Amino acid sequence: MSASTQSVAFDTPAREKAADAFGMWVFAGSEAMLFGAIMLVFFVARVSYGPAFAAASKHLSLTLGAVNTAVLITSSLTMALAHFHADAGRWRAAVWTLMATALLGAVFLVIKGTEYAMEFHEGIAPVLGAPFAFSGPDPVHAAFFFSLYFAMTALHGLHLTCGILVIVGLLALSRGADPSSRARRVQAVGLYWHFVDIVWVFLFPVLYLINR
Amino acid sequence: MSEIRKLAVAYAALLLLLVLTVGSSFIDLGGFNSGLNLAIAAAKAAIIAVLFMHLAAAGTLPRLAVAAAGLWLAILFGLTLAGQWGGAS
Amino acid sequence: MSSDVAMRANYLEEGAGPRAWLLTTDHKRVAWLYLVSLTAFFFLGGAFAVLMRVELATPGGDLVSDDVYNRLFSLHGIIMVWFYLVPSIPATLGNFLLPLMIGARDLAFPRLNLASWYVFVFGSLFALFSVLAGGVDTGWTFYTPLSTLYANGFVSTAAMGVFIVGFSSIMTGINFIVTVHTLRAPGLTWFRLPIFVWTIYATALVMVLATPVLAASLILIVLERVFGIGIFNPDLGGDPLLFQHLFWFYSHPAVYIMILPGMGVVSEVLPCFSKRPLFGYKAVALSSMAIAVFGFLVWGHHMFVSGQSAYAGVIFSFLSFCVAIPSAIKVFNWSLTLRKGEITFEAPMLYALFFLALFTFGGLAGLFLAALAVDVHVHDTYFVVAHFHYIMVGGMVTAYMAGLHFWWPKMTGRLYSETWARVAAAATFIGFNLTFFPQFVLGFLGMPRRYHTYPPEFQFWHVLSSAGAVVLAAGYLMPLCYLGWSLFRGARATDNPWGATGLEWQTASPPPPHNFDRMPTVSQPPYAYPMKGLEHERFSPHKDKVRETAA
Repeated sequence: MSASTQSVAFDTPAREKAADAFGMWVFAGSEAMLFGAIMLVFFVARVSYGPAFAAASKHLSLTLGAVNTAVLITSSLTMALAHFHADAGRWRAAVWTLMATALLGAVFLVIKGTEYAMEFHEGIAPVLGAPFAFSGPDPVHAAFFFSLYFAMTALHGLHLTCGILVIVGLLALSRGADPSSRARRVQAVGLYWHFVDIVWVFLFPVLYLINR
Repeated sequence: MSEIRKLAVAYAALLLLLVLTVGSSFIDLGGFNSGLNLAIAAAKAAIIAVLFMHLAAAGTLPRLAVAAAGLWLAILFGLTLAGQWGGAS
Repeated sequence: MSSDVAMRANYLEEGAGPRAWLLTTDHKRVAWLYLVSLTAFFFLGGAFAVLMRVELATPGGDLVSDDVYNRLFSLHGIIMVWFYLVPSIPATLGNFLLPLMIGARDLAFPRLNLASWYVFVFGSLFALFSVLAGGVDTGWTFYTPLSTLYANGFVSTAAMGVFIVGFSSIMTGINFIVTVHTLRAPGLTWFRLPIFVWTIYATALVMVLATPVLAASLILIVLERVFGIGIFNPDLGGDPLLFQHLFWFYSHPAVYIMILPGMGVVSEVLPCFSKRPLFGYKAVALSSMAIAVFGFLVWGHHMFVSGQSAYAGVIFSFLSFCVAIPSAIKVFNWSLTLRKGEITFEAPMLYALFFLALFTFGGLAGLFLAALAVDVHVHDTYFVVAHFHYIMVGGMVTAYMAGLHFWWPKMTGRLYSETWARVAAAATFIGFNLTFFPQFVLGFLGMPRRYHTYPPEFQFWHVLSSAGAVVLAAGYLMPLCYLGWSLFRGARATDNPWGATGLEWQTASPPPPHNFDRMPTVSQPPYAYPMKGLEHERFSPHKDKVRETAA
């Protein structure tokens, strides 16, 4: 029995690391079903109310959305670097890149929050009873677009927040850990982080690029 | 190619695809816009999966997980849309 | 040898006190944590059922008001489906047995396992809160727009409770999938695995792929109710039917989550008590996978009259007929396993045989429902209620009882009273049929489900059903007594009181903390009955006990 495996069931850390990765991919599969189900709802509505959705989408800030996409892509780069460093035993480099990743994630959330504030201010956020003032031709279905926009981006944001918290937790709990445990944990968090990035990669065009 | 170079190339490709997807949305291609955007998104996802998440190097099991998720999403979308738009009820 | 069993430290003795149990990562102890919680919910859901049956004994709505009755059947369904049936065999027997059956020391992710129990408890407390605060009246199916716009019960709380418990399901599923792929003992190829492992694996696949879609549908309900986002509201452009698609995309495969592990249990018990190998092992294994996959293709059969397209109705009807085929293959194989067997009727075997009969019967009723034209007439009647209770109670709960009794000596190191167990089994069989067979008749005659008042001509059948419920309840209460008693006063069990094959029987009862003193290797196919040198020996736990005291 190896002392550096987390689970008593595994004989070697290498086997445990491979099992960890597989487990994260299975989890990613389940999350794909979650976001996929909500995308389905969006898709049905989008096809039913094409013009209203297109008009509503224009009111989202393309600039902020595109910048946010770039921010997340960069965070995936830093996360991949963290994994690379952790695997090679360069823990300090891994720590810096992990912190960069978390920071970029926080930047994303701040930008998203700014967008939300702008949308509330503009009166196009039909949530929590806020007044809805859409000047386009089909306000009822435009409101539907915005409802889905808030639901989908909030769910994504929640996942991102969890990712940031896990990175912080990992950094805190891995101070005294051995290299193979650290590498295994960074791999696991990395897989989750990249998946959340992939979700945004689909959300961005679906919500922001309907018809400019 | 060293790992760093691979990551850099992946990063550059992702940003390029981002520019492409935003740029193409200003050109009116009718229904083709959505298809193009989804294709670009799929390409980005593939780059992230293979180069950042090491999907190719991870053995068969993770690829099976991805394939299963893809198949099940197809079932979810396919049969639901058949129910929604399949004709008279 | 049997006297040594009591001397060695087993998983029950290692570490006592609340911390050792509540912070355990030993899969065997986590199984017990689940067992206790699930038993509590089973009886809570059962209590609601008893209230319903008492009310239904008379045609008028005299015991409870309409609103209270709506809450009773909703809570009965929610609790039974999500807080008992879905986790039952996987989280108790699956957790306990999976590592043992594959020759591993624990699951792949032991802490995730413990966490899944805490998530289950947290979610179920949410739901309990909604029960105590007054409940929900939407039915366990939460259909929109009733649940989102009009229902005035604690829908959000109940939905959040179910949502949270769903994560427990997903965590368990991931753990099981990775465990089966990565921790099998040397020599244990896929086609040497016990069928119980195959079915648990298939169940885990369904849990991981289906539960997230339920999560999505519940999130959207809560968002609509709490944050005013109108997803399923027709006035705002939403489509209530879409909710049903998302809900049933999960809830139909969910019934396979419930029944597959039961099929696995039966596949272990029947060969053991007929001393015959399982007939058609590969067919049974592959059919289990086929059920898991095809089960995802049939959800629209719950929606034939909902307004989905007729074209889709035809497709779903056809696919529903197809999904019966792998189940039928298994029924034939189980039956043929008994042929030329040396059959004995211990309690696990009684339950397994009851399963065979009741599952077949209920499954055939399902074919009636799959026929589009018939379903138009019996949809939302007691015919449907009878069908799913035959499968869920007659099938699944019976199989759970079979498994609980079969592996009780392994889990506890004790033997239960065989006489009382047989009496309880008989009581459940008689009570069950008396409760639910009349419901087929009622449904056919037109009695709608979820109604508590009805025309007097239906009363005869309702009284039969309610009488049966009393007997059934007694049959389920009895094990609480004699199994509980056996924990303190039962005779000690040997490693293998039933003379069964399988790696779990090659270690002590109860097992040591890390399952095996020496990690096993496998070189034989499963179900090697009758076992060499013991062909004509009748294994009986009591015979061993006699040998023990005589020694």
